[in-house]
Amino acid sequence: MTPTSPETVSPTAPGRPTGDVAGVPVLAAREVSVRFGGLRALSDVSIEVAPASIVGLVGPNGAGKTTLFGVLSGLLRPSSGRVSLRGEDVTEASPQLRARKGLARTFQQPELFMGLTVREHLVLAHRVRFARRRLLTDMFNPRALFGSKASEDERVDALLELLDLTRVAHAPVAALPLGTSRLVEVGRALAGQPDVILLDEPLSGLDLRASENLTEVFRRVVANPDHQVSLLMVEHDVAAVLALSSTIFVLDFGELIAQGTPEHIRNDPAVRAAYLGEEPPVSRTGTDLAFNGTDAS
Amino acid sequence: MLQYVIAGLALGGIYAIASAGLVITYVSSGILNFAFGALAYFVARFYYFLHTQHGWGILPSAVVAIGLCAPAIGIVLYGILFRFMRLSSPLIKVVATVGLLVAVPSLATLIFGNQAIQAAPGLAPEPVRVFHVIGVPVTLDQVIVYCCVVATVIIGAAVLRYTDVGLKVRAMVDSPAMTGLSGTNPGAVSVGVWAVSIFFAGLAGVLAAPTIGLDPINFTILVAAAFAAVIAAKLRSLPIAVSVGLLMGIVTSLIQRYLPSDSNWTTEIVDAIPFMVIAVVLLYNLVRRGSFGDAERVGGPLDRAIVPQGESRLAGSTASALDAGSIGLLGRYAGPALLMVVATVLPLIVQGFWVGLFAQAFAYGIIFLSWTLVVGEGGMLWLCQITFAGVGALTASQLAVNHGWPVLAAIVVGGLVALPMGLIVGFLSIRLGDLYVALVTLTFGLLMENLVFTQNIFVNQGLGVNMNRPTFAGSDLAFTYLSLAAFAVVALFIVNLRRSTTGLALNAVRWSEPAAKTTGISVVQMKVLVAGLAALVAGIGGGFLAAAQTSAQPGNFATFAGIVWLAVLVTVGVRSNVAALVAGIAFVMMPSLAQAYLPTWTANIPPVLFGLGAIGVAKFPDGTLAQQGQAFRRFLQSRIDRRPAPLAVAMAGDGPTGTIPTGPSTPPAPPSPRVTQDVSP
Ligand SMILES: Nc1ncnc2c1ncn2[C@@H]1O[C@H](COP(=O)(O)OP(=O)(O)OP(=O)(O)O)[C@@H](O)[C@H]1O
Ligand SMILES: [Mg+2]
Repeated sequence: MTPTSPETVSPTAPGRPTGDVAGVPVLAAREVSVRFGGLRALSDVSIEVAPASIVGLVGPNGAGKTTLFGVLSGLLRPSSGRVSLRGEDVTEASPQLRARKGLARTFQQPELFMGLTVREHLVLAHRVRFARRRLLTDMFNPRALFGSKASEDERVDALLELLDLTRVAHAPVAALPLGTSRLVEVGRALAGQPDVILLDEPLSGLDLRASENLTEVFRRVVANPDHQVSLLMVEHDVAAVLALSSTIFVLDFGELIAQGTPEHIRNDPAVRAAYLGEEPPVSRTGTDLAFNGTDAS
Repeated sequence: MLQYVIAGLALGGIYAIASAGLVITYVSSGILNFAFGALAYFVARFYYFLHTQHGWGILPSAVVAIGLCAPAIGIVLYGILFRFMRLSSPLIKVVATVGLLVAVPSLATLIFGNQAIQAAPGLAPEPVRVFHVIGVPVTLDQVIVYCCVVATVIIGAAVLRYTDVGLKVRAMVDSPAMTGLSGTNPGAVSVGVWAVSIFFAGLAGVLAAPTIGLDPINFTILVAAAFAAVIAAKLRSLPIAVSVGLLMGIVTSLIQRYLPSDSNWTTEIVDAIPFMVIAVVLLYNLVRRGSFGDAERVGGPLDRAIVPQGESRLAGSTASALDAGSIGLLGRYAGPALLMVVATVLPLIVQGFWVGLFAQAFAYGIIFLSWTLVVGEGGMLWLCQITFAGVGALTASQLAVNHGWPVLAAIVVGGLVALPMGLIVGFLSIRLGDLYVALVTLTFGLLMENLVFTQNIFVNQGLGVNMNRPTFAGSDLAFTYLSLAAFAVVALFIVNLRRSTTGLALNAVRWSEPAAKTTGISVVQMKVLVAGLAALVAGIGGGFLAAAQTSAQPGNFATFAGIVWLAVLVTVGVRSNVAALVAGIAFVMMPSLAQAYLPTWTANIPPVLFGLGAIGVAKFPDGTLAQQGQAFRRFLQSRIDRRPAPLAVAMAGDGPTGTIPTGPSTPPAPPSPRVTQDVSP
């Protein structure tokens, strides 16, 4: 689509004509609020994800990150606010419709299809996006009964290779360790070639090597010139987020307390307060900010 | 007018008590007790046994039956069954109570004998005294009902609101796990709730008996009405359930007042009132979409975190399309192939009458395959497959006999008539959740049974309509093989479906609806699709059954008979095609064998066993056959391992290495708490 350099983080940059498609964020939430009974899980949160960029979403436990993902992906209905996908309002759209329009996500607790193998996850996601009719017509086609298994898209195999999943491609996912499950989640999300992927703590539970590998994968898919993908990533490993993202949003108690470049976030007193629960001493430099590295649980 | 309101209040009061009993166990343990009506019948039958048959006084009979026996049943059921099911999937909870529903009436017949009961007394001494309140006659029976309702409401509200117990119950509703952690023993509270619930069942049963009669079938209307109230209350709100119950009683009574009492229509409309209430509620919720979705989410994040996922699903353990597994083709297909061979040979060995039975058995097998589809692949519990079979049978017989259609065409069209019914019922109920599917399909079956199957065009003065067989398969043996061939075609279709993209998508929907949705799969669409297919299969199976029996009898397609069928199938295994075949054979042959070789009183034993078998899914979700099949495969595997013949190696395919457990059993899932935030809208 429109060529946009990965560095473009501010779609509302001055001087850009408003009608320009390049200025439209792939994904945007405007003043989204969610209530669970008396609890305000999100209050008037607005975020934007520019094309072909990695955007971080951080915040302490219970800040509302997963809730925001629920709203963005359509699984949760906000009590107010709008969500748009490539400029199109999708607030009322079902999750499956949003998926068809190019949105994918992973889950904090992997939601895998226990009866399927790793490869089948990717195959299914790929077919859902690119051969939708097969969902309904395939059962009348005896090819499934007699057909060969090897003929699947090279896209799926390339993806398995990319994520280092080839070895377990035919293993049922029920038997996989948590880290590998996360990779399968990512693979399933990527298999549909979405425009934007919501990643809910993709790195937690991965060992160092796998984590570095996956980070590298993220860089590569975003930099891929053939297909523009944006990533919105929730991650407790703040160092990784700061290193990867071009823009970062910080949530605390359901409110957006900061947003901006990694440099900006590192030095933001509100963020430090939210993470440390106190006003940081003025003399400290931003780089040794001691974010509490809480894990997923 | 007032007179009818007062009479209606009495009927409504009984509904109200019943719905209160249903709501409290649902709210406190997440179990909607489908056996509620059966238990009500059991207690009422026991009361009759003591009071009428053994001449006990009213008070001692009532105290023993309602006051002691009923709560004791509740406590025992909790202790041996429901205690272990709090965290089971909705599907398994429903199946277990359905098993109870099958077992209890037969058990009652075994214990109390099977004489037909003309009139059952209530709690008032006979002859029942009649009072005149402001000129309106009120029977003592009615007065007793009012007192019971008022007492229930007042005591219930007081207990829930003001006592420690009420607080504990309400806390447990929100999170049994948290309640357990904070020192309250949720078990002690639950046991009390179950005792009270079955007490209500018994009370409603005894109160209702004088009006509706003492026969398990009559209790269906009581249950349907209570279900309607409970659905209107979204399974949770006690006040709404009680009010809707009362309201339905009044409406029923007023309709009886204003419609001609001698018309067939009046009875039919009266019978249909609960179903109309359900239909209105469903449509209302369809318009205001989504507000039902969270109804079954009992407990908080902690509760869901400790759900033993791997064993909590009835569906989902079939090895699927692309993974050949280390067992290989030989292991996978040896068992099914062997059983098919046996099924093919058996009709040749037996003689005369028994050959015809095999034709029926295979027709039942086809009908059972519709559950293999809808439960096994769709992950939903449909309780009206027998109704679709009935639709298929009645349609086919009309077309074939009264309109001279070719028989096979008539059978297929019979299935095609059932198909849209499956789609519509599915569309109305599926988005509301598993429990509503079970509730709505059950009541749909009852509605069809009461309104459509009773039409004389089908009943034909009780004779039913004859059904032809295809001219080329007129003999018992030929038709038996035709049925077996039809079974094989449907079974192959299901095998193909499982391995196709459709099957992958269904598997996705079964295992994680949120992930399926965000991958772009429409959950409702897939489930409605499989429900429609299942209705088609059931309809075709019904046509074959009618042809095997050479007549289509509406009476053979009563909803509760279908629940026995389901219990049979679930006992054998609802995930596999051969299980459907075995279940068909068992269901037809066991009673006939018993009849031929055993004393008559044993006729009630098979339903009890099947009921218990269905309850057993709480422990073995895949059914007994699957259990045996696994053992068989493990045996084969061990042979193969010992002696790696080239063939076995070649057939083992490209499966994963030995480090990864494969095969049909579901390994326990990693302790992964479910994502709780993603409530589907
Ligand atoms: N379904 C729900 N019902 C009630 N409260 C909920 C629900 N889902 C989330 N919450 C609450 O909303 C708040 C935000 O939760 P959320 O899961 O979005 O946080 P999070 O930022 O993802 O936290 P974590 O880092 O622990 O994953 C929390 O207080 C949580 O308890
Ligand atoms: Mg989260």
